[in-house]
Amino acid sequence: MSVLPPPTSPLPAWTCPFCALLCDDVSLQFDARGTPALVGGQCPRASAALARFDAAPAPSSSVDGQPVPLDQAIESAAGLLRRARLPLIGGLGGDVAGARAWMRLAEASGAICDAAHSAGQTAALRVLQDRGGYFTSLAEIRTHADLIVVVGSAPGERHPRLWQRIAPNELLEPRDIDIVLLGVAAADDERARIAQALPSATVAAHATADLHDEIAVLSALVAQRQVESASEAQRALAERLRGARYAVLLWEPGALPQPAELAIELLQRTISTLNLKTRAAGFSLGGSDGAASAQQVHAWQTGLPLRTRHGPLGLEHDPWRNGTDALLADGAIDALVWIASHGSEPAPPADWAGALVLIGHPSFAPLAQGRAAPSVFIPVATPGIDHGGHQFRAEFSVLMPLTAAREQHLPSVAEVVSLITPKVAA
Amino acid sequence: MSTLVLRGARVIDPANGVDAVRDLAIRDGRIVDLAPGEHPDRVLDANACVVMAGGIDLHSHVGGGKVNLARLLLPEDHRAGLEPLPLPLNPLEHASLGCCTPGTLATGYRYAEMGYTAAFEPAMVASNARHAHFEMGDLPILDHGAYVMLGNEETVLEMIARGEDFQRIRDVIGWTIHSTKAMGVKVVNPGGISAFKFNQRALDVDAEHAHWRVTPRDVVRTLARAVSELGLAHPLHIHSSNLGVAGNIASTLATIDALDGHRGHLTHVQFHAYGTEGPKKFSSAAQQLADAVNANANVSIDVGQIIFGQTVTASGDTMRQHANAHLANPRKWIGADIECDAGCGVVPFRYREESYVNALQWAIGLELFLAVKDPWRIVLTTDHPNGGPFTSYPHLIRLLMDKGFRNEQLAKLHPDIASGSPLAAMTRELDLNEIAILTRAGPARLLGLRDRGHLGVGAAADIAVYRDQADREAMFAKPVWVFKDGRLVAENGRIVAVPTGGVHYSEPEFDRGIEKTLADAARKRGVLDPARAAISRDELCACANHGALLPHECKLSVGAA
Repeated sequence: MSVLPPPTSPLPAWTCPFCALLCDDVSLQFDARGTPALVGGQCPRASAALARFDAAPAPSSSVDGQPVPLDQAIESAAGLLRRARLPLIGGLGGDVAGARAWMRLAEASGAICDAAHSAGQTAALRVLQDRGGYFTSLAEIRTHADLIVVVGSAPGERHPRLWQRIAPNELLEPRDIDIVLLGVAAADDERARIAQALPSATVAAHATADLHDEIAVLSALVAQRQVESASEAQRALAERLRGARYAVLLWEPGALPQPAELAIELLQRTISTLNLKTRAAGFSLGGSDGAASAQQVHAWQTGLPLRTRHGPLGLEHDPWRNGTDALLADGAIDALVWIASHGSEPAPPADWAGALVLIGHPSFAPLAQGRAAPSVFIPVATPGIDHGGHQFRAEFSVLMPLTAAREQHLPSVAEVVSLITPKVAA
Repeated sequence: MSTLVLRGARVIDPANGVDAVRDLAIRDGRIVDLAPGEHPDRVLDANACVVMAGGIDLHSHVGGGKVNLARLLLPEDHRAGLEPLPLPLNPLEHASLGCCTPGTLATGYRYAEMGYTAAFEPAMVASNARHAHFEMGDLPILDHGAYVMLGNEETVLEMIARGEDFQRIRDVIGWTIHSTKAMGVKVVNPGGISAFKFNQRALDVDAEHAHWRVTPRDVVRTLARAVSELGLAHPLHIHSSNLGVAGNIASTLATIDALDGHRGHLTHVQFHAYGTEGPKKFSSAAQQLADAVNANANVSIDVGQIIFGQTVTASGDTMRQHANAHLANPRKWIGADIECDAGCGVVPFRYREESYVNALQWAIGLELFLAVKDPWRIVLTTDHPNGGPFTSYPHLIRLLMDKGFRNEQLAKLHPDIASGSPLAAMTRELDLNEIAILTRAGPARLLGLRDRGHLGVGAAADIAVYRDQADREAMFAKPVWVFKDGRLVAENGRIVAVPTGGVHYSEPEFDRGIEKTLADAARKRGVLDPARAAISRDELCACANHGALLPHECKLSVGAA
């Protein structure tokens, strides 16, 4: 619910909160009816997300589908969590302040925390835990990369402004940039996106039958091992990698074929080999919808990442057993708190039929209606639209400030959760 | 407000030249004088105790990107075999664990239990400043602050390379301190982190950066002068070139020379005091470095003592961390190039008594502690967690205070070190006054914290009360009482209150016109533009969990030495 008419000129210093690129080179502008639109750049993902924001009044909180005042919804949510033996705090679509708040709720309720997008993030984490890796950031790619190998998926599908973000502009010394799309199914679409942002780049696409095989061969060739079966194209790519001044391998951990861990490990091994003689680094493109922020806050406060149970024996980190899908499949949890404050995040898993506390964007309201199990819905404000905040960008090394774009009355995730927690602990 | 008196303790307050049995009165979070005839509301019998100001760690990696990467890299630091570490029994403590990579919450509890009341993160990446402030905001009890890393961002290197007006470079540095809400400025492997991005593998103090053609000497000289002129209390904090390299004493001495008489604080010097003598071409240059420190009053140091056992090294020095990554134990590591501004390398490490190199490192650190004459210019650190976790400070204090204990430890090491180290012949034992200087009074002075690190009237009542025991390790591990701003926060090694600490930051003067240059640089490389990069006071307050803001005014003085 807007109380002041939002400004109809582009907002200064706005940051787009709708994917992990957290673009700061676009802005937002409202029309006279209070409908926001992206200006200064095109992004289908942001535009789709912004379509959920208008000046319409927000729905009220609800308990079991019936509208209730906020304090009653808070009581019901707390009661539901007091009765739960093992809740999952999932989704985790929010900002750092929200994460600080749900950390306390996790402790009070003995919950497991896991983000909606955590399959890819967990694969990336497991490789980190096993062997580490070498990474780079958007500005480094823009400034240094002369070869970018995109592995396994078309990153522009989910992160439409990626190429704009890493395209060198006229202020940098001109340099040749080669881009290779390796095992990217929708290569033509990605070529079109690249052509728009980086018209001078040379783009080649290599289709692969088996991505794991392909990058295993590449890794071996880069290490100058004999691979009889290697094709000319594979040898040429390995040579190109060995000759690059600053090679970037870019992948989306959530879009790699399974086992994603194996693919990432091979890619990091390739980077490691290259770094013995030249420079190379990886860019792992994931962590949208608050997943990266949730991972960071959980790790710094407790020492352990997501998929950790705040259990009676201690903090039990288990990247397999404590994932959302595994917990649901095992019937391990008896309550689900789902946090999704941008509206564009995944909805609570459709197959979850148990107790639900949905702390979400107003557009999620219908999902807490008509359920047989106890259901609480609390609408919340959106960081980066309704209030300021912070989210981590994909590479984890940059924490972006989010600003409010309009005034409205809904509480933030942090405020709602901070009301629930003391009532659970009591 | 109520008044508390600590009665009958030996008050060791070297900043005020006090070492005497006397009462210490506290009111409204401050040390006060009791009015004649005034009766305190509460008296604590501190007979047979030693009272010091709260400890101040001026170099401890307690918050920010690389610390959190270390946590992600080492889940095993939070398990005992297959079992999770047990949760804290104290209901005041949140679940937060770990040994060399503890969570921020555990970090605050463990420091406070030892009588420390402030810790400073020495390597804040400018583009990651908010993250560092968030993590430090989640350090309970402790005051905190950070040094922003400079001297490897393409913008400043380019300005030095182009021979731009010094004043404009100084404005960039002033602006960066202001925008990141930094307490000080650190340079890590001057120019070397950037050079590694251009595939340079080594950079001596007078060698040129492969791309920008500037030398570490240029970088150190420029930054040290800027820090002086901006009026920062803390001198330029320097992680010198060639960390860990045999023979690096030459670059360490050259770095001191590069200061051109400006003040400089050389950090974790144990890693920078190696010679090339002996059969292994790796020897102690501790005496050479100590001689240089003794001879140059503009230089202060912290040691970065190593402690045997498992730890993890987290550094901005990608060039050197990459070179040392093959030594990782367990065998895994993380590196990153960050935003044309910095880098980070996280390499787990296990220091072993039976290793010649590790034993030598251990001895070098202690030699430095014992050979530097002015205790006000040497600070007790393990470069947590790089040399070892901060929880080993009580052990380190005993090594410094107890020659018998020290020699016992030395005898357990690699035989060449046990028999050949000059340490065996060093008879100095630090006394309690010197320990108080090395762990609170000295760092407070080096940071310009006027109301911390001492117990004079008007000082903040950050106080540690230790039971005087012959076993100094036991004594310093669990103070009887610890007060933070007058509030009892720990008693006999148990947390009893969890206030939120404050954040120290400097407020230098600079010409705002520099924002145009920075906006151009941001557009060029796609880094944060000045409008977004600047952290406001309100935002800092949110990051710091609404702890007190502790700004430090800086006076610009052009041409200051």
